[in-house]
Amino acid sequence: MKAHFGPAQSGAYSLSRLTSKHKQAEKVVLEMQDPTTGVKLQPQRLVITTIPHAITGKQICLFYSEARSFGSMLVALGYIYPIQDHKRLVVKPDASLYRFQTPYFWPTQQWPVEDTDYAIYLAKRNIRKKGILELHEQEQYNHLHKWMNHKWDFIVMQAKEQYRAAKERKKPDRVVFDCQERAYWVVHRPPVRTHTCMFLSLQKTFMIFTQQSIMRPRVKSSVSIGALVKYCATYKGHDPFLSKCLPSNPWLTDDVTYWALNMPNVEIPTKMRVERWTFSFGELLSDPRGRDDFRLFLKKEFSGENLAFWEGCEDLKWGTAATMKEKAEQIYKTFLARGAPRWINIDGKTMEITVKGLKHPHRYVLDAAQTHIYMLMKKVSKHVSSDSQLEQNARNRRPSLSPIIIRQQEQEQKAKMAASAPVDITQLCRFTTPVPHLAVYSGMTDPPSANASPSLPFLAHTPACPSPISVALDSTSASERRAEASEGESEGNPEARASAGGNVSKSRMALSLRRLLKRGCTPSSMFASLSPKCNPAAGTSSRIQPISPDEPSQAPPRRIGNFFQIKVDIPPECRIYPIESEDEDEENRAVSRERVGTKEIICPWESLTPQNGTG
Amino acid sequence: MSRWHRSVDELAARRRQHECERAQDALSRVTSCFQQLVALVGSSADGSFLRDELDETRAVAHRICSGLSCRLLRSLSNSDFAPSGVQDRQVLERLWVLFLSALEHFLYDLRKACDLIGQFPLTEHSNRRSLVNTGCVDGVVGVAARVASVQLPWLTSEVEPSPDLTNHITGLETMMSEMQQRVPVAFWSVEATQPAWAEARGEPDDLVESLEDLMEVEVIAGSKKTACCGLGCVG
Repeated sequence: MKAHFGPAQSGAYSLSRLTSKHKQAEKVVLEMQDPTTGVKLQPQRLVITTIPHAITGKQICLFYSEARSFGSMLVALGYIYPIQDHKRLVVKPDASLYRFQTPYFWPTQQWPVEDTDYAIYLAKRNIRKKGILELHEQEQYNHLHKWMNHKWDFIVMQAKEQYRAAKERKKPDRVVFDCQERAYWVVHRPPVRTHTCMFLSLQKTFMIFTQQSIMRPRVKSSVSIGALVKYCATYKGHDPFLSKCLPSNPWLTDDVTYWALNMPNVEIPTKMRVERWTFSFGELLSDPRGRDDFRLFLKKEFSGENLAFWEGCEDLKWGTAATMKEKAEQIYKTFLARGAPRWINIDGKTMEITVKGLKHPHRYVLDAAQTHIYMLMKKVSKHVSSDSQLEQNARNRRPSLSPIIIRQQEQEQKAKMAASAPVDITQLCRFTTPVPHLAVYSGMTDPPSANASPSLPFLAHTPACPSPISVALDSTSASERRAEASEGESEGNPEARASAGGNVSKSRMALSLRRLLKRGCTPSSMFASLSPKCNPAAGTSSRIQPISPDEPSQAPPRRIGNFFQIKVDIPPECRIYPIESEDEDEENRAVSRERVGTKEIICPWESLTPQNGTG
Repeated sequence: MSRWHRSVDELAARRRQHECERAQDALSRVTSCFQQLVALVGSSADGSFLRDELDETRAVAHRICSGLSCRLLRSLSNSDFAPSGVQDRQVLERLWVLFLSALEHFLYDLRKACDLIGQFPLTEHSNRRSLVNTGCVDGVVGVAARVASVQLPWLTSEVEPSPDLTNHITGLETMMSEMQQRVPVAFWSVEATQPAWAEARGEPDDLVESLEDLMEVEVIAGSKKTACCGLGCVG
């Protein structure tokens, strides 16, 4: 632990070292001070006194045309601080009060944030609060006391003197200074939560990002190129320009049949479209048609509330700000509250964070819960037998409705679903009959019912590499890519569909699935038990090897089938894996606290050690 | 050396030690007042009075630092001869480490002050328009008085002209590097004299007000204002 009293840097702290972001922020802050064109100030009335120069969130937003995000940046960086909800560095466009931070506490780059100062601050708080500090502050205190033990006497002495000096100020000024100091440390030493849901300020995001970039595990280019190749191989057949598009490529000819066959609400999806759903859970969910089928399936299993919750979260994220609060409340009442009509089963910790966050709802307050449910549904989608609308391909219909009518239909359907009771099971018979020539086996089926063809484990995924492609994959909307229409014959497609028979008994599947859902297990345990290949960093021991033709005996027998029963005959050198590594990585990160040996998010100040010249 | 000589030496050493300790306290006091003043630079409470007070405080700090560094250097360089014992040396080393920490901390504030004064020059009246409205209005008379109350034997006797801000910074930096070169003190051998959390039990004579108490919002009848600033936690 090298420490030295730094004389360090000569006094050449030029303003040119400011980052452009800070420069811009300071410029705006100074503009806001103008008595005529600046932000309107108002007094803050306290019991003991009145303090001037407060501003409302609304006024911050009004000041600048792109204000909402810029105002948030000002607060996140620390140029403006909230008076009331001081720990949340966000701009609320209402009457919440804020104040300008004094230039002494501005976050300029040439004044590194010193641990000595933080130690003095904590000691001061200790004096005032008689030892009752917050948990993260206590931890920091103990850590600093150990690390700075040699100057601890100075720290305590300075804290006492600062405390006494502050008392020489008049009370309103003293309150202001205390608020300023507190706000400074909220920005620079925020409590780091290890839960999945972290609300990072912009500055902290930047610091953590750069540090994690440094620490990110490296991947060989051969591996990432391999992922790229796999992606191309997977999606090549679905690209209308790279492969033959039936009946014809509407972008080249004027025949819009292709689009008509692949409209969002088409009754019978095309074979290629359904095949796309097998690529990843994200594909299934982003295609409204796939989502419909999945919803119906979940309804059948009495777990449609998961999808409904997921959709509610999406609605909250992308909806208007005005409706956000009511939506959040609605979602809470419907899905999260005790005894709610469509209660979803999420683990205790996630529930705790979510409920806590709902006290001050914002767009992303349900992210943690939504991710949990997403993972849950993803597991479900792999273990559910289905499906047969593929047999209906022969009966393709050709609707030609205008977009307006389509939209109306969508709204009506939404309304209908919101009001409907659980679906009558008899209506779902079309999901139960498998298509003989379109069945595929993952390693998940019973060995006796498997046939001789090579099986394709859907849960196999690429070696752990956060491939950027999968990010692109998830974000591509399904409406942009439509599968080829087919008339039930295999095309000149290298992945020709071969036939195979067999399916899995439905009752066994239904039972185990219900158990799966009701168990409400955490994603980590589910993942560990079901995934064929865990992340190498994971410390779990229940690893399941992917099935290959050579080693069929390695797979533990599973009694559940798949949502999809598409058979794909693939030459071994061209395996298609659904590219889900991004999701798995996210999930792994989310549960990293439960695993041994994975990296946790490093607090920015821990790596600032070499910069702090003090010992 | 005779016993009488030894005891005189010991007394002298003890006196020097006490002097240094008091000087250290004084330095802490002055630098914390300096911090209160610098926190107002660039804000709506900035003005010529504040700038003058900054210079005054800086000058006092400068005198304390010069005197203290001299004495510490002298004591630690000479203590090889005096048989006063390991314990005295330890105390002096502790003071040494504390002084250097204080210097570093003060330098940090000085650099901030230098930048802020550069960024907010008050040379013209129009400069006042860009001062940040932070909510502070009052002057710092109390703080200035606190600085003036510092008393040390050499403050009045060893008066030298105080440097301007930039020179002050460079002067301190030079002082620090010089001190570290001349006396090799193992800072890691110094330990805190009080345990962790000890300061929480101190200060029985003050009425300690928490920030939540001070921030209590006026409850207007019929309005939805909450009684407290919404901290609901350790403020």
